[in-house]
Amino acid sequence: MTTFWQLCFSGLALGVIYALVALGFVVIYRASQVFSLAHGELLTFGAFLMTSLSGALPWGLSLAVTMLATGLLAAAIERGVLRPMVGRPVFVTIILTIFIGLLLRELVHAIWGADVRGMPTPWDPARSIDLLGAKVLVNALAALVAGAAALTGFFLLFQKTRLGIAMRAAASDQETALALGIPVGRIFGATWFLAGAYAALAGVFLTMFPRQVDANVGFVALRALPAVIVGGLDSPLGTVLAGLLLGVLELLAQGYVNPHLGELGHDFHEVFSYLVMIAFLVVRPHGLLGSKDVKRL
Amino acid sequence: MPRRKLITRYQDDLSLFPDRWHLVGWLACAPLALLYPFLASDEWLTVGNLALVGVVGSVSLMILTGFAGQVSLGHAAFMALGAYTTAVLGNRLHLPAFVLLPLAGAVAAAVGLAVGVFALRLEGLYLAIVTLGLIFLVNHALLSFPEYTQGLTGIAVPFHTWFGGEDASSIHEPVTLLGLTFTFERKLYLAFLALAALVTYLAKNLQRSATGRALMAVRDRDLAAAALGVSPARVKLLAFGVSSFLAGVAGGMFALQQQYITVDPPFNLHLSVQYIAMIVLGGLGSIFGAVTGALAFTMLQPLLEEVGALIPFLSGLTRAQQATVLFSLLVLLVLAFEPLGITGVWLRVKRYFAAWPFRY
Repeated sequence: MTTFWQLCFSGLALGVIYALVALGFVVIYRASQVFSLAHGELLTFGAFLMTSLSGALPWGLSLAVTMLATGLLAAAIERGVLRPMVGRPVFVTIILTIFIGLLLRELVHAIWGADVRGMPTPWDPARSIDLLGAKVLVNALAALVAGAAALTGFFLLFQKTRLGIAMRAAASDQETALALGIPVGRIFGATWFLAGAYAALAGVFLTMFPRQVDANVGFVALRALPAVIVGGLDSPLGTVLAGLLLGVLELLAQGYVNPHLGELGHDFHEVFSYLVMIAFLVVRPHGLLGSKDVKRL
Repeated sequence: MPRRKLITRYQDDLSLFPDRWHLVGWLACAPLALLYPFLASDEWLTVGNLALVGVVGSVSLMILTGFAGQVSLGHAAFMALGAYTTAVLGNRLHLPAFVLLPLAGAVAAAVGLAVGVFALRLEGLYLAIVTLGLIFLVNHALLSFPEYTQGLTGIAVPFHTWFGGEDASSIHEPVTLLGLTFTFERKLYLAFLALAALVTYLAKNLQRSATGRALMAVRDRDLAAAALGVSPARVKLLAFGVSSFLAGVAGGMFALQQQYITVDPPFNLHLSVQYIAMIVLGGLGSIFGAVTGALAFTMLQPLLEEVGALIPFLSGLTRAQQATVLFSLLVLLVLAFEPLGITGVWLRVKRYFAAWPFRY
C-alpha cells in the first residue's frame, strides 16, 4: 500500500505539470485555433532562464521574472509570426509552430549551451516527508501546491474577471466579439502570455531535484498531448483533470504494469498515455468534457 | 512562347504532359540526372542518394497530405517500419534488396491501413496528434524486441543482390564498364534513380486518374464529395495504404543507403517534420512540388551548413544546428509569403514570361 501512495503522490506531481502544459495548449487553441507545438520549447526556455536568474535574484522574484519573460516571449511569437496567419488552415499553423520550436531550441542552445544543470530550490532539494506512510519529496509537494495555485488562479481569471469573459467571448466567436468592442488581437496576446507563463512555471517545477534541466525537457509537452485529447480539445477543466489522471496512471503503470510485460514493459509507461488517448479517440472522440463536433449537410 | 493551353477536353486533364514543352523539359533533365553520379564528388553523391530517398518519401507524404488532405506527423514511423523490415529480413532470410523493398512497403502499409481505420473518425488536428503518437508506439515496439532489432545498439543492413547467398559484399565491389567505374554508391544512385522515377510516375498517374480527383475532392470538401458518390472512407484508406507503402519503401531505401541503422535518431518527430517541410517547401498538392521540395531540401542542407558558419551570432552552435536555424527561417518565410512553395515561384515566373512585355 505504501508503494501505491508513493506512486500516487509522484503521479499527481507529474500530473500537475502535464495539466499546466496541456492547459497552455488548450487556451491557445480555443482562442486562436492555433495548436502550438512550440510549447515545449517555451518550457525549456523558462527552465533555463530560471537557472540563470536565481543566481542573481531571490528565488521567488526570479520565478516571477521567468514567468513574465517567457510569457512575453510567447506573446511576441504570437504577434510577430502567428497573427499574420489568422485564417490559414490549422495544418499550416501547426507546421509553423514546429519550426518556431526548432528556432527556439537553437536559441536556447546558443544562449545556455548544451550543459545539463540542476534547478535551484530555496529548500533542501533532496528532503522528503512522510505522508500516509509514503516518502514524498518536498519538490513534488511544492509542484502540487504551485500547480494547484496556478490552476485555481486561471479558473478565477477565466470565470470571474472581465479579461476572462473577453477571452471566452473571443474563443466562441471572433467576429461577434470584435463587433462588440472586444480587442480580439490583444486577447490573443494575453492568452499566449498566460500559456507561456504557465509553461515556464511547469518547466521550473518539472526540472527540480530528481530531474535536471537539459535541452530536451521540452519533450514533456509531447507527453502532455494525450491529456489535451483525453480532456477534450476545447475544455480547460477537462484538460486539467485528464492531466492529473494521466500523470497518476502513468506512474501506476510504471510501478505495476511494466514488470509484468517482460521485454515489452521496458519504458512501457512512456507510451501508456498514448494508448489511453487512442482508446478515448475510438470511444469518445470529443474527450471527457469537450464539446461534440456536429456536422451538417 | 510556350504557354499552357486551356483544358477543354477530358483528354487534356488526363495527359501526362500538358504540352510538348513539358516533355522536352523532363527529357532535358534526364541526362543530367544520369550523369550526376559521375560528375559529383563522393560527398555530393551521398547527398544525391539521400535526395532520391527523399523524393520517394515526400511523394508518399504528398499523396496523403497534399492530395487527400490527411495531416500526418507519423511519416517517420512508417519509414522506421520499412527500414527495420529491410534490415531484419535481410539479416534473417538473406532476401535480395528488390524483394525486401516491396516487403518493407507491405509491412508499413499494413500498419498504415490499421491507422487509416482510426483516421476515418478523426480530422485535422486529432489525426496529427494520433500519428505523432504512432511514432512513439512504433519506436517502443521496435526497441522491445532486441532479439530481432538489436534494440538501442542498432542493426547492420546487408545488401543482397540475389537469393540464397550471404555474399553481401559483391555489390560493394566496383565494376568498370565502358570506361566508367561503377562504385557501390554510384550503383545505388542509379537504382534509386530508377525507383524514384517509377514512384513519381505512378504517383502522377494516381493524381491524373479518377482516383486522384476523388482524393482531392475529399480533401477540399468531404461532404460534397460524398454527395457526388465518392466514398470518403474508402478514399482515405486508399491514401493511407498507398502513402504508407511508399513511405516503407523509402525507409527501406534509407536503410540500404545507411547500411547501419538505429531507431532514434533518425526515426523521430524531427524526420516527420523534415518531410512536411519538403512538401511545404515544394508546394502542397503537386507531384512537381514533392520532387523539387525533396531535392531542394536535401541539397540545401550541406549548403546551409556552409553559410551558417559565416553568421556571427550562430558561431557557438554546431554546423547542423546552424543549418537548422537557417532552414527554419526559410520555411517560415515560405509559409508567410509563398504558400505554394517552389511550385508557386515557378508558376509566377512562367506567368511573367507568358505575359511579357506586360506586367502580370
